[in-house]
This record gives sequence, C-alpha cells and structure tokens, in this order.
Amino acid sequence: MLTVEHVDKSFPTAHGFGALARTLTGRPVSRRQVLFDVTLSVGRGELFGLLGPNGAGKSTLLKLLSTLTTPDRGRLTIDGIDVAAHPLQAKRRIALCTSDERSFYFRLTARQNLEFFGALMGLSGAKLRRRIDECSALVDMREHLDTVFGGFSSGMRVRLTVARALLSDPGIMFFDEPTRAVDPVHAEEIRALIRRRLVEESGKTVILATNLLDEAWELCDRVAIVNRGRVVALGPPRELDAELDAVVRYRVTLDHVDDELLARTRTVPGLRELRVVRSERGVDLHVELEPGGAALGALMRAVSWSGASPREFRPIDPEAIDVFKKVTSDDRG
Amino acid sequence: MIAAEAPLGLNPAKVGAIFRRDVRVALSYPGNFALSWLSIGVEVVIAWYIGHLAKPSASFGSGGHVASYFQFVAVNSAFVRFQTAALNSFAEAIRDGQLTGTLEVVLATPTTMPEVVLSSAVWSFAFTGMQTAVYLLIAMAFGLSLGHVDVVTALVFLVLTIGAVSPLGVLAAALSMVIKKPGPIEWVSNATAYLFGGVYLPLSRLPHWLQGIGWCLPITHALNGFRAAVDGVPVTSVAYDAIWLLVASVVLMPLSLWLFGRAVHKARVDGTLAMY
Repeated sequence: MLTVEHVDKSFPTAHGFGALARTLTGRPVSRRQVLFDVTLSVGRGELFGLLGPNGAGKSTLLKLLSTLTTPDRGRLTIDGIDVAAHPLQAKRRIALCTSDERSFYFRLTARQNLEFFGALMGLSGAKLRRRIDECSALVDMREHLDTVFGGFSSGMRVRLTVARALLSDPGIMFFDEPTRAVDPVHAEEIRALIRRRLVEESGKTVILATNLLDEAWELCDRVAIVNRGRVVALGPPRELDAELDAVVRYRVTLDHVDDELLARTRTVPGLRELRVVRSERGVDLHVELEPGGAALGALMRAVSWSGASPREFRPIDPEAIDVFKKVTSDDRG
Repeated sequence: MIAAEAPLGLNPAKVGAIFRRDVRVALSYPGNFALSWLSIGVEVVIAWYIGHLAKPSASFGSGGHVASYFQFVAVNSAFVRFQTAALNSFAEAIRDGQLTGTLEVVLATPTTMPEVVLSSAVWSFAFTGMQTAVYLLIAMAFGLSLGHVDVVTALVFLVLTIGAVSPLGVLAAALSMVIKKPGPIEWVSNATAYLFGGVYLPLSRLPHWLQGIGWCLPITHALNGFRAAVDGVPVTSVAYDAIWLLVASVVLMPLSLWLFGRAVHKARVDGTLAMY
C-alpha cells in the first residue's frame, strides 16, 4: 500500500550567485511549484499509471516516493512507513527504474554495473549472480552482460535499467518511462513483463509513469492523469473513458450526400467536427458531438431530413487521446 | 519531519562494492593509471633537484637530527598526498555520481549519502598509500634514508592524519553539494599546505605570524609526525602533534558530517542532488 496525501512540491527557480546570496543571508529564494495538493493511493498488487505530458510532475512524484527529494507539504507512505521520516526503511521496499539511460558506469560491463548496484541493494555472492542472470534474461540482455555499457544502444541501456530495478525483487516498483527509446518488440516485452510477470504473477505493486497513452490504457489498472502538477483525472482507463465522456463520435454511412445534407448537418447544435470519407460501401460521415442527447437527436434529424436513409449509424468508442485532451485542456482553461 | 540518515552506519559489503567499482573504473583508464605511476618518478626527481638548493640542517630533521633538504622535501611531498587524497576523494565521489548520472540511482537503493561518500575514500586512500610507498622507494634510490623509520610513529600519524584531514574533504563534499564545485576548499587547503604547512620550508623559517597560520593546519602536524617517523623518533617525542591531530579529528569530523548532512538535506529539498 502506498499513499500520497496533499503533497505540494516546489523547486528553486535560480541556482546562481543571486540564489546563493539569498540563501546565505536568510532571504527567501523564489521557487516554482511543480506539484499541487496531490493525493492518491495505490493498493497492493496494483499497476498504477501516472500519465501526463512532459513536465507534468510525474518524475517528481516518483522522486518523492524514492526519497530523492522531499515534499514542501503533505505526506507520502510506503507500506505505512513515512518516506520522509524513515527513508532507509522505505527504500528497502522499493526499486526505481529511472528514465535516465545514463545512470550506469560507462567504462564497466553490464555485469559489473549490476554487481555494483545489486550489492548496494543488499545482494551478494551466489544470489546476486543468479539474480543478474535471471533479470538480464528477462530483458533479453543476458548475452550482453560482459559488454562494456558505453557500447550499448539507447534501447539496450533502457533495458538494463529495467534489469537493475528487478534485481532486489522488491514489493513496490517505480518505472519512469521504461519503454522510452526501446524498439517496438522489446517495448512490448517490457510491457508484458510488467503486466504479467510482475503484477499478475508476482503480485507486485507498480507505478508506471508514462506519456504514452496507449501504454497507460493498455497496462494499468488505474491511471492518474497529471497535468501541470495536478491530478486532473483518476480511475480505471475504461471508466475514465466513460465518465469523462470527452466526445461522442458517430459514423453514419449513406448511399450519397449532397450539399444540402451537409449544410444541415453542420447546423447541428454541439457539432465539434464533421468529416466526409468516401468508400466502396458509400459515403461515411464521421461526426463528433458534444455529449448529450439533444445533439444526437439533431444529427439524426439532419441526416434523414432530405429523405436519405442511413445504411449504418453507429457510435465509435471514445479513445484515450480524447480523455487526455479533455482533462488537460480543461485544466489549462 | 525529515530524518537525517545515519552518518556512520557503514556496511562492509557496500564499502567493498564501492571499492571494487572504484578499482575497476580506475583500471578502465589504463593510460591515466600508468601515467599516475610514472608521474611519481618525475616528482621524486623534482624533489631531488630542489634538495640541492639547501645544505643539510637540523631544521630539516626531527628531534635535533641533521637531515638533508632532499630528505625534508621528499618525506613531505610523499605524505602531503594524503591530504590531497582526502580533499579530492569525497567531493569527487559526489561529482562523479552527478556527472555519470548514477548518484540518484545509488541513493534510491538502501544506501545513505555518507556511506557513498565515505566508502569512496577507501580506494583513494589505499591508492595514495601505495603511491606514497612507491614514492619513498624511488626516493631511496636518490638518497633518501629510511634506515631508522619508527614504524609505530608512522602508523600512528598515518591514522591521525587521515582522521584530521578527512573532515576537510567532507567539507569540500558539502560545498560541492551546495555550489556544485568543490574548488575553493581544495584550492585553499592545498595552497596553504604548501605555503604554510611546511611542505617546502620548515615552519621555523617562516615569519612568526605565518607560523601561526601553519600551526592551525592539520598537515603541519601530520608532516612533523611523518618526518619524525622517518628519523626514527618515537611517538612520545611528537606527542604534541599527535594530540593536536587527535583533537582536530574529534572536533572536525562530527562538525563536517553535520554540515555535510545539512548540505545533502538542502540538495534534497531543492531537488538538486544530481545537478552539476
């Protein structure tokens, strides 16, 4: 169980002489707030997504949970342990898979790097060697263990960060954009590893920070959409789709359309977008409406007014991008 | 509430891992590694050349022994390395972690910042010890006399020197955390060591007011001890310098660790642990 309660976080905006002089003279240094009253909880065995654009505050939240920075206000707990008050105890329960592929010693081999980080995690001897073999195999890096890290591609480096995070086999894992720079095949393997092996088979709690909508929607039990430091939506992906009801899409297939029909359709109240797509089966009108029954009724009247008989009139499921756009644009507004 | 991490809870397995990492990284730069050994020979030759600039004198020896200026400079140059190592190693441990991007990942493991920084000094001091030994061996070929070394005095001063100069290194590391460059403490300490610490000139030959500055420096008392050890002087005869170093260690170490803890805390609050 992991909780984040009313957490605010800010960082200084300047690090030069001015900031140093202010610090030494006890004057306040201007700060930029990056998290605002963030509250969420993640249950044991849950795969929880942090989804948001670049700079939204996802990595900051993971750094707070990993004890790498401290909150201005609020409280974070891991299995009931206050992260700020007992960082060592908290760190024994977690692993951080950073997004920084640079976080290894370039002159050492992958095995030497994993030996070093494994030892810091408390592993040693045969157990450490076994874990290195197992974890590197999981990310298809076993045959590269004795290669110098500096010679790896970006994707291989990212895969090694995943292997490193797996070494100590902790109950709670934080993944910060684990498929960034990874080729599609290995990205899919990493997603499967997280979803099936870590969460479904091993019962681990995983927080996945990502800016890939499909990744969050496909993998996560629940997703918090973070924008400008605020959690602007939170829930299971399918519920977010439905609850936010960002836009309603219909595809109306007709034998033909004329200018009058299009003109009447464009007057439908709540119409967001109208596209005409011609195909072998006829003409498709792709219509996006604001939610609400009135718009739908007006659309049906518009397309049947001229005597045209729709061959097909079907709703199109909302897409993650609609949810994301809606919550982030609302927040901007 | 923000907790301070246990400052001296060193885990031998982690110390070993950090030591192995440092050895491997050092050996992965074979050219630099080889040159660092070759440079010792050059340093000895320079000391030997400088050694001819002055006649043997009792002021170059300990306990009334007349010693050559080469003996004086060679012993001082050999052992001042420990101060340089202390000043560099702690701050470099942080800076290397920041530059390689490994610091945050290391600190996300159940490892404290003091563990990381203090353990990083193990290789540095071991390497310095080996280089000092080689320096002295080469210097022997140039006429340095080590036939009367008092081993007890040498060991006592080795331990006390590391204890007294390490806090300066920890302070440099703290400064490195805050201003992201360890420079000032390193520069000031090294410069004052050579100018006022008696590396090139006996303190007694400096103006009185400069002797006061020299007296305040740990390296002055450390070098007094090492020269005494080389001259075969028992530790009891240099007890004053030993006590000075012991008091400095006891006072400065907790103070430097406290300041280092504050610097790390500030870096955590500001989110600048990995910034350089």
